[in-house]
Amino acid sequence: MKSVGTTVNGATGRTGRRALSAKAARVLSLYGWHYAFILIGVVFLFLFAYMPMLGLQIAFRDYKIHLGMWQSPWAGLKYFYFLGDGYFWQSFKNTILITTFRFLFGFPAPIVLAILLNEVGHNRFKRAIQSFSYLPHFISWIVVAYILYTMLALDTGVINLAMRTLGFPQVNFMGRPEYFRAIVVASAIWKEIGWGTIIFLAAIATIDPQLHEAAFLDGAGRFARIRYINVPGMMPTVSILFILSLPGIMNAGYEQIYPLVNPANLEVSNVLDVYLIRLGLTQAQYSVATAIGFMLAWVNLLLVLIANWTIRRVGHVGLW
Amino acid sequence: MRVHSRGERWFDVVNYTLLATLAFVCCYPFIMMTVLSINAGTDSMRGGITLWPRVFTLVNYRVILENAAIQRAYVVTVMRTAIGTAGGVFVTALVAYGLAERRLPGRKYIMIYMVVPMFFSGGLIPYFLQLRDLRLINTFWVYVIPLLFNIWNAIVMKTFFQEIPVSLKESARLDGANELMVLFRIVFPVSKPLFAAISLFVAVGHWNDWFAGAFFVTRQHLRPVQTYLMGIMTADLSDSFNQQTVQAAQQLMGRFITDYSTITSLSLRMAAVMIAVIPILLVYPFLQKYFVKGVLIGSLKG
Repeated sequence: MKSVGTTVNGATGRTGRRALSAKAARVLSLYGWHYAFILIGVVFLFLFAYMPMLGLQIAFRDYKIHLGMWQSPWAGLKYFYFLGDGYFWQSFKNTILITTFRFLFGFPAPIVLAILLNEVGHNRFKRAIQSFSYLPHFISWIVVAYILYTMLALDTGVINLAMRTLGFPQVNFMGRPEYFRAIVVASAIWKEIGWGTIIFLAAIATIDPQLHEAAFLDGAGRFARIRYINVPGMMPTVSILFILSLPGIMNAGYEQIYPLVNPANLEVSNVLDVYLIRLGLTQAQYSVATAIGFMLAWVNLLLVLIANWTIRRVGHVGLW
Repeated sequence: MRVHSRGERWFDVVNYTLLATLAFVCCYPFIMMTVLSINAGTDSMRGGITLWPRVFTLVNYRVILENAAIQRAYVVTVMRTAIGTAGGVFVTALVAYGLAERRLPGRKYIMIYMVVPMFFSGGLIPYFLQLRDLRLINTFWVYVIPLLFNIWNAIVMKTFFQEIPVSLKESARLDGANELMVLFRIVFPVSKPLFAAISLFVAVGHWNDWFAGAFFVTRQHLRPVQTYLMGIMTADLSDSFNQQTVQAAQQLMGRFITDYSTITSLSLRMAAVMIAVIPILLVYPFLQKYFVKGVLIGSLKG
């Protein structure tokens, strides 16, 4: 079978037309189904990924529904006026703040949890904890929003009940902007902390047990073994995930935040996604919203490229 | 025998306590929602319903399950999850199988074409306009068709297919099997754990999606459960529900009528959310073994 590949590569030389078509026929008879299957994927990506990329041009056009993206008149950079819009910069700042806080607290959380879980000798206890902690990953952000509204409610919410019992005054958490970021960060951690441990536990599991044996014989205690064996053993995984989370800085996550937006917290909950959805989908201002999307797409690509370049610099295989 | 120092024993105590607390925190909201959904709404208003119902009732579920809008939303969610998962996993698997063939001429260029959308996207608005141009907006199919092929899952599946021993396929070919038979009799059957894991993730994605229902569809009867829940999140339900339901109740059994008066927005909302959560809680224990595997397959060079 190997010879097939080489003959096909050889066909790039000057061969007669007939030989070429014979080779094409052979390739097709061997790989016809493969190409047919791939074609399905090509079509789907063309329709739902490449066409929207071409659609970015309406950032530079006066988009008219009846004219479509190819016929609408050019508008130059008119729609990039958003760069002078206060709401845009507010949403930009809100996005960066939320993603930064979420990263600062949310990134180390599953790492710490994985280390703690790994120290549990009792296997059934460990598995039970894992089962419970994975559970929130599987519910929707809508349900999370319901949980937050219910738990943080005045008078009936569990948190306020507890505060009242302890003698503190009640707090209207959902109605006050200063709590919004903390709520977003805490609920994101709640939802994903358990799920996030899977990959770190796998990283710890790949550490050579002989290292632990040797350290134990040398008199290293448990803390020493965590500090000098488990933590360094996790570092490759940690550093890759660290770098991979860089592009997330522009992405506050509309799925989580949109359900929590209300007029009382708009000054902090107005993130780029929310701004874009309101402008584009609610108010149908397609060209401006696309102009914002155009800028975001390039910033995202740039961040991904930086991330990949960094991974390579650190000495790991990059993403490509 | 390992001898633990006193500090290490204390660490164990603290660690077990911490982890148990975390597990409780992770599942407490589910307990809370359950309890509030089976407690009389007017009684819950007094506060103090935390772990156990005080005035047990199923009337909230009764009202929710009798509500025609929720029934329709439920049908939409179940349909899109079933069709979307079966179709999505199948289509993506076919493409992944094509991509998994290492000797395929032109594979390098095909992969570039496939990978570019993972890093650059046209964003929401052009995507929306494209869905509209394809006449998918305001149809049920907007939930299914755009998600039939998922490039991220395709890469995971491709990696898995490439690890299937070539000898398995070769021996089938020697036995006279054609490519389709190899695919359906050999490759797909040995990939069951992969399909289980991917199906689970795709299904959860469909079940939990509220966005498409909120922005790609305006017809009320096409809304899935999550979008419906989004819509009633902060609304005052007691009016709109009660007018229909109290009337309906009076036509039903008399003894339930007193119950209906206990309904509040909160109790109804909790029952409605539980309707969306219960199926996940029910299948969760059975699927656990698959998803951990799934995450790890996916993380191997994705």
